[in-house]
Amino acid sequence: MNHRAVAVCTAALVSAVALTGCGGDSGGNGGSSSDASGPITLEYWAWAPGLEQAVALWNEANPDVRVVVKNQAGGDDLVTRVVTAAQAGEAPDLVQAEYQALPTLISNDVLADISDHLEGTGTAEEFSEGLWQQVTLGTDALYAIPQDSGPLMFYYRHDLFEEYGLEVPTTWDEFADTARALRDAAPDRYLTTFSAQDAGLFAGLSQQAGAQWWTTEGESWRVAIDDEPTRRVAEFWGGLVAEDAIHNEPMYTPAWNQALNTGEQIAWVSAVWAPGVLASSAEDTAGQWAVAPLPQWEAGGNATGSWGGSTTAVTNDSDHAEAAAKFAAWINTDPEALATMVREGGIYPAATAAQTGDALAEPPAFFADQPDFYEIAAGVAEGTAPAAWGPNVNVAYSTFNDAFGSAASARSDFGAALAEVQNATVADLERQGFRVAG
Amino acid sequence: MNTPVKTPDSSAAGASAPTAPRTRRVRGARVGGPRSAPYAFLLPAVLLFVAFFALPIGYAVWLSFRKVEVQGLGLGSGGRREVWAGLSNYAGALTDPELLAGALRVLGYGMIVVPTMLGLALLFALMLDADRVAGRRFARLTIFLPYAVPGVIAALLWGFLYLPSVSPLHFALDRLGLPQPDLLGGGALFIALSNIAVWGGTGFNMIVIYTALRAIPPEIYEAARLDGCSQRQIAWRIKIPMVAPSLVLTFFFSVIATLQVFNEPTTLRPLTNNLSTTWSPLMKVYQDAFVRGNIHSAAATAVIIALVTLVLSFGFLRLANSRTRQEESR
Amino acid sequence: MSVGAPAPTVAAGTPPPGDRSAPAGPPAGRRPRRIALLPSAVLLLGALYCLIPVTWVLIASTKAGRELFSTFTFLPGTGLWGNISDLSAYRDGVYWTWMANSALYAGVGALLSTAVSAFAGYALAMYRFRGRESIFNVLLAGVLMPPVILAVPQYLLMAQVGLAGTRWSVLLPVVLSPYGIYLARIYAAAAVPRDVVESGRIDGAGEWRIFRSIGLPMMLPGLVTVFLFQFVAIWNNFLLPYIMLSDDERFPITLGLFTLLNQGASAPALYTLVITGSLLAILPLIALFLVIQRFWSLDLLSGAVKS
Repeated sequence: MNHRAVAVCTAALVSAVALTGCGGDSGGNGGSSSDASGPITLEYWAWAPGLEQAVALWNEANPDVRVVVKNQAGGDDLVTRVVTAAQAGEAPDLVQAEYQALPTLISNDVLADISDHLEGTGTAEEFSEGLWQQVTLGTDALYAIPQDSGPLMFYYRHDLFEEYGLEVPTTWDEFADTARALRDAAPDRYLTTFSAQDAGLFAGLSQQAGAQWWTTEGESWRVAIDDEPTRRVAEFWGGLVAEDAIHNEPMYTPAWNQALNTGEQIAWVSAVWAPGVLASSAEDTAGQWAVAPLPQWEAGGNATGSWGGSTTAVTNDSDHAEAAAKFAAWINTDPEALATMVREGGIYPAATAAQTGDALAEPPAFFADQPDFYEIAAGVAEGTAPAAWGPNVNVAYSTFNDAFGSAASARSDFGAALAEVQNATVADLERQGFRVAG
Repeated sequence: MNTPVKTPDSSAAGASAPTAPRTRRVRGARVGGPRSAPYAFLLPAVLLFVAFFALPIGYAVWLSFRKVEVQGLGLGSGGRREVWAGLSNYAGALTDPELLAGALRVLGYGMIVVPTMLGLALLFALMLDADRVAGRRFARLTIFLPYAVPGVIAALLWGFLYLPSVSPLHFALDRLGLPQPDLLGGGALFIALSNIAVWGGTGFNMIVIYTALRAIPPEIYEAARLDGCSQRQIAWRIKIPMVAPSLVLTFFFSVIATLQVFNEPTTLRPLTNNLSTTWSPLMKVYQDAFVRGNIHSAAATAVIIALVTLVLSFGFLRLANSRTRQEESR
Repeated sequence: MSVGAPAPTVAAGTPPPGDRSAPAGPPAGRRPRRIALLPSAVLLLGALYCLIPVTWVLIASTKAGRELFSTFTFLPGTGLWGNISDLSAYRDGVYWTWMANSALYAGVGALLSTAVSAFAGYALAMYRFRGRESIFNVLLAGVLMPPVILAVPQYLLMAQVGLAGTRWSVLLPVVLSPYGIYLARIYAAAAVPRDVVESGRIDGAGEWRIFRSIGLPMMLPGLVTVFLFQFVAIWNNFLLPYIMLSDDERFPITLGLFTLLNQGASAPALYTLVITGSLLAILPLIALFLVIQRFWSLDLLSGAVKS
């Protein structure tokens, strides 16, 4: 989801705007190179702020392989834009792609298999198995290098929790009780909201419950959106909305920003990149937030899902796939590059070493009172449930927006909305000619 | 298309009675000039039309008869190929309940927008044309001003103004102790969306109508006044019938714009749960083409929309033409 | 299909003789000059309604980040210059590049478009030739195809000839304007006297010379309108550049603001930049209208056939 992924980077972007007007130098000015093959230029479509600074490091060290970032609006529409460009043979060398978009891009033959180019470099060992599985789709091929990830956590206003005598929930049952208790204690406040515009968050919550939305069986796809784990999640949130224990308006609107800023909503289930968003959505509340692991379905568990996160992929249109693959591996594993992106863009790097590295030694500025922020995050990230994406995530997501949007408005049954998402997704796969199991 | 069409030049000569003698044609030996000249003048337009309208339209129509077929899991190269789809995309679009629902929503929206916008435009034009009006120039410019504001930005501005925390309406209601309506829910949503279109379009239509009013020869008013007609009667009996053709014109363009409504709901959508991604037919086209990546079914839907627009406008213009002819023959 | 029928209203541009500032009124002095209350009040209300959002954006752009949602809507803030300098600093002033691009696309595009419309409109109005109405109707039918669906085929065809992503890809498709041709035809029919054209021919002048020395000068006021409409249409165009362009150094302002807004959803501090950016983006259009309006609207429509 566009703003989700961009959210990764907000704080730094905003400060960069305010302070420096960054942009950086425009890289290794050509002309000095006397290589026989001459310097090559790689075009990189991306939207994550902070990326350009990291790319500048590369350009300084590699005058022969110049990378040029072309800033994009990001988001779901970009997937189609890239597919269209690839159809015309005009796709860039490198694209930023979110995990859930990979199967769509692969199935449209946009992404190159770069496993040969990186053979023996040990890149795979830099990442957790769950993330690596998402960029290989469980095959021998390699379609992208993970850049950042977004394990889900629970953010709350510690001052208001104290004021109303609320405990930090460790299970979803406690979470529901907390929501109700708050409504009783302060009728003009809500614990949080259910956002029908954010399918990515719902997907993450479902992963935590054990959902595997798309899987393959031989030559067929299996869609399990309307399945036991997801149904459980949908009914839980639908129940809270129906009894008005939580709010039902979307996130990422000016009204929502204000609700966070004024304490009308006092908690947020979000990913590790949330501090960047909070710092600009709720800037008046600095220092009043704290983080805890996501509430669990089973007491004592340590499971979480993911919301957002991007990869760097090489396209089939690239004339320099090997150089592009080397760059993709470098920018997502090089400590200095990752540190730059953490600093300038506030991302949570996917590379395991970087998650405990120096770049994340300090907590985010907005959480200055919680020095162990990234330790908690690393603990949570260990329990990240694997995600399973299919070739028509966009269809599922846009159906989710519509079906859950009207269900949330009407405070009606989320189960029916979930069935609608399942049916639309299966119907679309079948219409495209995919074989669908079961 | 093969009905005898009243062309602007002939009608201009007919309607502008006072100047008619001056524009009477001198029928020389080479009436209409040399044969090749008009084609040469039209050449750039025709070339551009072919390159940027006809070819893409043809391509879109072709796409609408194609579809993508997937092999196996559809992963890796060669997983997809384009095949002939026959009419299946059209069948799919026509049986999609969302398209019909979207069309009905747009119909409801249009029934608010078009009459309100044209009614206001006519009212303002008549007021501008009235005697002894203060601030005529200011009003004309100001009411026209929204035309200069891009649709996306207009929707964005109104979107902010609909938010309870920003809206002056909510502020006023709050001060008065009245309940605060949700402007982006239920029936109010239609009003909220219509308001944006009315705001953006009234001024333009007002100028068109006002221009027509200004072109009415003043002698007609003199005659009416001598007959003892009041200002209001003049407006009803003379001015409005005289500008009927420009009302037809503005109506025509307003209806086309309404059928293609896209910017306003798209911009407001993230703010509310009540606007679906397929709220209007054109949003559905966009959604299919750009979010779901199904250009083929999007093309079919678009062709249907274009055909409906074509039939509607052709029928409407035929009707308008025959009316005008009847009136003239009287 | 023909849009010919409603034409007379616009075309029947006979100038009402006499004082333009008191149009259909009685000769001044016959009655005491009182202000008509009802019409004035109605117009004032209309003007106020139209000013609400513009006033809001004007005021909102003066608010620094946190004032936007916390202070009363129509209370000016303190941050206008701060907002403008933030906006200028954003990615090394890319905002002003977007502005310059928009000016380029809209200026050059509208100019070319006006020229093409003038040729076509003149030909359609002044000559009788085989296929005239068919060509006119087909050109006009172009407005019926929703731009959303034309964009993708246009992109694929542009890519075929290697123009996708270039400035040409945004400029060329907007040069043809069915509405502009329609207007140009009407103005040509109303403003260019046929007898003068005919006598030019009898004098042996070539068609091109007649067009340049008789047709063009007389159509000029009408062409100002065509230019304006096209300028506004291209300035406001969003979808075409969105599909065609990938390099944000070539983005027009609408696409740039959209990119910014997209990121603003997650970084509300960017909202103030978007609002300030919106204000600055509509100012040139308003200025253009104020400057050109004297040539435009009434002068042109009513005065077109004077000479």
